[in-house]
Amino acid sequence: MNWTKSMRTSVSEKLTWDNLLPSEQPVYVSSLVYSFGVFTLSSLVFCIVSGVIMASKGPLWYQYSSLGDFMRSIHFWSVQAFFFFMTMHLVGQFFMGSWREGRALTWVIGVASFGLSVVTAFTGYLSRGDFFSQWNQVQSKDAFNGAGFDGFLNILNNGQVYGLHIAVLPLILMGLVAWHLIAVRSKGVVPPYQAKITEQEGDKK
Amino acid sequence: MKAPAAGRDTLKFKQKDFDMVKEGVVSLAIAGVLIVGVAAIWGAPYRPAVTNQQIATQNPVLVEQTALGDLAGTGAIATYGPPYNNGNQSIQSIGPFHPQTWWGTPYQIQTANADVLTPLSMLANASHNTALQTALYTYDHATGAQQQKWDTNLNNALNKAKAVNGNVVIPQGDYGPVSTMMNYELSLAKSGMLSGTLDRETNNGVYRYNVQNDLLFLQGSALHQVAGNIDMLGEQWGINHDEQAYPGPWWLTPYTFLYQIPPWSTSSAGDQMAAYSVAILFLLLMLVPWVPGLNKLPRLLRVHRVIWRDWYKKLEQENDCANCPLRSECSKEFKGVKRVAARPGFVPACYQHA
Repeated sequence: MNWTKSMRTSVSEKLTWDNLLPSEQPVYVSSLVYSFGVFTLSSLVFCIVSGVIMASKGPLWYQYSSLGDFMRSIHFWSVQAFFFFMTMHLVGQFFMGSWREGRALTWVIGVASFGLSVVTAFTGYLSRGDFFSQWNQVQSKDAFNGAGFDGFLNILNNGQVYGLHIAVLPLILMGLVAWHLIAVRSKGVVPPYQAKITEQEGDKK
Repeated sequence: MKAPAAGRDTLKFKQKDFDMVKEGVVSLAIAGVLIVGVAAIWGAPYRPAVTNQQIATQNPVLVEQTALGDLAGTGAIATYGPPYNNGNQSIQSIGPFHPQTWWGTPYQIQTANADVLTPLSMLANASHNTALQTALYTYDHATGAQQQKWDTNLNNALNKAKAVNGNVVIPQGDYGPVSTMMNYELSLAKSGMLSGTLDRETNNGVYRYNVQNDLLFLQGSALHQVAGNIDMLGEQWGINHDEQAYPGPWWLTPYTFLYQIPPWSTSSAGDQMAAYSVAILFLLLMLVPWVPGLNKLPRLLRVHRVIWRDWYKKLEQENDCANCPLRSECSKEFKGVKRVAARPGFVPACYQHA
């Protein structure tokens, strides 16, 4: 088997421009719920941009300068928006049964992204450098240690926590989100459940 | 236009115009205005970290009690266990399952040396303080039983001690060199230098990345008192909320909720149980597509009828599904379809044919 050929075939079949940047969509796509996904992504963009600016100035800048404080505020509210829209997206997709018709992997990657976001946000809270960080660091050590993560993670080591927050976890998260998007685009948005009127009419007869 | 990839069921439906790039740009603009606007108006919460110096100034007795517990080996961290030392008081175990101990003690801290003896000998050497040097020498060369007697006597005295003008006042007693050592420990903390010596221990040199020993010195009563005053204790939904007027990490609510109810709130392995409980719930959410019952729940809940209300309305009005291209898939989802479709002359209101 030629790996190059099979990869090229698979990619060119799934990632057509029509799939990646569609200019049409099925008529049933008509609800505010569909906007939660794109708003989640938009919020993530602001998380990343504000985070990159903060990382470039180092972890003291956002604690002691007014511009840094403003950037930290943008980062804070981006994260709030990100989780709000992501939660709405998750709940919406649950109600739509969006794992149907061969979309289970899309759901799994989406939920994995949610879980990783929670961990990423937590390391961010610990990198704030204030009492909230300090308190949650000493409180969470018992949970991380008790669960057996102590072999890998010293939650009281700011260098490790900060590194996880600004590089390791966001990179994995961006990878998952990209995979999720490609999965959504290659399969298309899930069709609606069948109309209930069928069952009703059927039941009448 | 290229033929649709096999299995792409959405292209079997009627299509309408859609501008993905425009939608992305518009949403980015709306999110940007909202986020930057809210950040400019409200800012973000920030409460300066608590230092050893502050605690030493506000509650000198507490600092001496903490340091004495570390010296005597009776404090919470002295007896903690893995990953810090060989104690066993904070090892969490569900039955025989205690992964906390699997990795040994990678982040070593022997509190007597780390929190008291090393910082005090640095202070004594730096300031040529013979009184302190003598106290440390006397303590170091005393028998274990003698050390324990001094520690216990001072511990009992500190339980009744008062702070006067920032100093700890205790009655006369047989404390050996320990009361001198504790008074210097307090002075070191008040000066702000205790944090420096603690940080130095976990960083192997110039750069400061690991604040473990500094935080572990404070982690007991000192931080709990501050946290209790602002409703941040675990049983007060701790991590779940931020400074009062700001939203906190509310997405941790299911996790924090567990700490409010038994057995999680009462078990000595509560943290371990909460972590694994949330992991199981998370796995369940992830595996919803394959969990019988749960994967059919959205159909029963019928919220999808609201989400796709335009679509269902259209179906009801047009009843245009005689040649439903997804009929086979439908029959997988709905018991009714096969039954209904089998009846001669009946036209099911299925997916719309393009």
